[in-house]
Amino acid sequence: MKDFASPPASLPTSPETAPHPPTVSEARLLSVLDTAADGIIVIDEHARILIFNKACERMFGISAAEAVGQNVKLVMPTEYARQHDAYVGSYIRTGVKKIIGIGREVQGRHADGTVFPLELSVGEAATPDGRQFIGILRDLRPRKESEQRLADLQSELVHLARVSAIDEMGAAIAHELNQPLTALMLYLQAIRRAHSRGVDIVTVVGDILDKAAGEAERAGHIIQRMRQFVEKRDPERHARALDPLIDEAIDLTLLGQRHRIRIEREAGQNLPPVSVDPVQVQQIVVNLVRNAIEAAAGAPDPAIRIRTLASDGSVRLEVQDNGPGIAPEALPKLFEAFASSKRRGMGLGLAISRTIAQNHGGDLLVDPGGNGRGACFTLVLPAAPVPDEVG
Amino acid sequence: MRVHVVEDDAGVSDSLALILRNIGHDVVSHRDAESLFKGPVPEAGDTVIVDLSLPGIPGAQLVRWLLNLAAPPRVVVITGQSQGFIDHQLRGLMPDGVMRKPLDVDAIARVLPHA
Ligand SMILES: Nc1ncnc2c1ncn2[C@@H]1O[C@H](COP(=O)(O)OP(=O)(O)OP(=O)(O)O)[C@@H](O)[C@H]1O
Ligand SMILES: [Mg+2]
Repeated sequence: MKDFASPPASLPTSPETAPHPPTVSEARLLSVLDTAADGIIVIDEHARILIFNKACERMFGISAAEAVGQNVKLVMPTEYARQHDAYVGSYIRTGVKKIIGIGREVQGRHADGTVFPLELSVGEAATPDGRQFIGILRDLRPRKESEQRLADLQSELVHLARVSAIDEMGAAIAHELNQPLTALMLYLQAIRRAHSRGVDIVTVVGDILDKAAGEAERAGHIIQRMRQFVEKRDPERHARALDPLIDEAIDLTLLGQRHRIRIEREAGQNLPPVSVDPVQVQQIVVNLVRNAIEAAAGAPDPAIRIRTLASDGSVRLEVQDNGPGIAPEALPKLFEAFASSKRRGMGLGLAISRTIAQNHGGDLLVDPGGNGRGACFTLVLPAAPVPDEVG
Repeated sequence: MRVHVVEDDAGVSDSLALILRNIGHDVVSHRDAESLFKGPVPEAGDTVIVDLSLPGIPGAQLVRWLLNLAAPPRVVVITGQSQGFIDHQLRGLMPDGVMRKPLDVDAIARVLPHA
C-alpha cells in the first residue's frame, strides 16, 4: 500500500489501516457501519477502498484489512471492472452522472469467483481530501428466489388475501364481539340478582331487557357483516347505490381498528346507481380505507376523507388520507401483487382492488401525493344503464 | 365503596354500572381517561376499573398514573384483547386485577372487595 493517501478528515478509515488510532467518534461511526445490514463501501476519487464494512466482508468473502487500499474493482466481475475506471474518470471530468443518486442492479464478484446480482446506490461527499463515493450494496439473491416462489403461489392468492384480511382483523373482531356479550351478560345477571333477592324491579326491567336485546342484535350484526365478507360467491351484478355500500364497508374496517382516526365523509348528491357485486366493491373500500388508516397513523391528526361524486357516465369514490403519500420508488409497482412496504403486509390489497375495479368495467387510480400531501385513491365505476322509463 | 369505571363502550359501561350498583357500590362512569382526570382524584379506598383500549390516553397509561399516586386506589383492568396485547400493554405494571371480557358478575365480585 505504498501510495495510499492519507485518510480524509471527514470519514474514518478502518482501524486496521488508519495511521492514527480512531477517535471516539470515528470508532463509533465504524461500529455503526459494521452493524448495517447492507454492504457499505467508501472509495476515493481513484476508486481506492477507504471503508469496507462487515456486511461487505460477508458478501464478498474478503476481509476489510485486505480490501482497504485496493481498487474497488476487487469486488467486480472483470467486464464491469474495466468500465468502472472509465465511469469514475468521466464523471470527475464531465460531471455527468451515470449512477450517482440512482439505485440500480449491478453484478458483484465473491472472492471464490461467484458472480451475483447486487442493488447498488451511490452517494457522493466532498471532503477536504477530495471527493468520496459511498456505495450501499444489497445482495439481491435472496429476494430473487423469494420473488420466484411467491409468483408460483399467485393463483391461489385472491381468496387467501381476503381470508388474511379477516385473520388480521380476527383479534380485533373478537374484541368487538366481547363488548356486546359483556353488556348482555351483565344486564341479564342484574335482573337475575334483583329477582332472586325479591327486589322490586318491575319499573326498570323492561328497559333493561330492551338494552340487552339491543346488545344481542349488535353482536349478530358484527357476525353477519363478517360472513358476507368472507364467503366465496359467484360474481354478481346488482344495480345499487354506491354510498350505503361504502358506509357499511367503512364500519367494517373501523371494527378492526385500534387507532383513533377522524373520518370525513362526503356523499355525492343524486348519484346514479352502479351495477356491481356489492361484496367485491366493499372489499375494495376496506382495502383502501385500511391502507389510508395505516398511512395516516403517523400524522399528528390522522384523518381520512372519503367522498363520492358523479362524473360523466361514472361514479367516483375518493379516499384521501393525510399520511406521507406514496414513495416515488414504490409507485411503478404499486398495483402489483407483493409490493408492500409493511412488515405484515402481503401487498395484495391494491392488486386485488384494481382487478375487481377493472372486472366491473371501471378502474382504480392514484394520486400519489407527497411533500406534505397524503395519497388519494380513486375508484371509478361506470353508472348502471338506466332502465327504460315505463308508461 | 366508590367504583370508577373508565370504559368507552356505552353498552359495557352502562351494564357494568348497573350491576355494580346492584351489588351495592357507588359508581362514577367515565368515557375516557381525560374525563377521569377532570374530576376528583380517586382515593385509596376506591376501586378504578380501566378498559385497556381507550380512545385518547391509553388505558395502560392511566393504570400507571393511578398506581403511582401517593395513596393509590385499587386498580382493575378489563379488556377484550388478546393475551399478547395485554402483556405488551401492561409491561412492568401490577394492577390489582385483570379481567378479560366477556365479564360476568362473579368475576367482578372476585376482584372487588366486598361492599
Ligand atoms: N394511502 C397510502 N399512502 C401511502 N402508501 C400507500 C397507501 N396505500 C398503499 N400504499 C403503499 O402501497 C403498498 C401496497 O399496498 P397494498 O394494499 O397493495 O398492500 P399492503 O397494504 O402492503 O398489504 P395488504 O396485502 O395487507 O393490503 C403499501 O405497502 C404501501 O407502501
Ligand atoms: Mg393494504
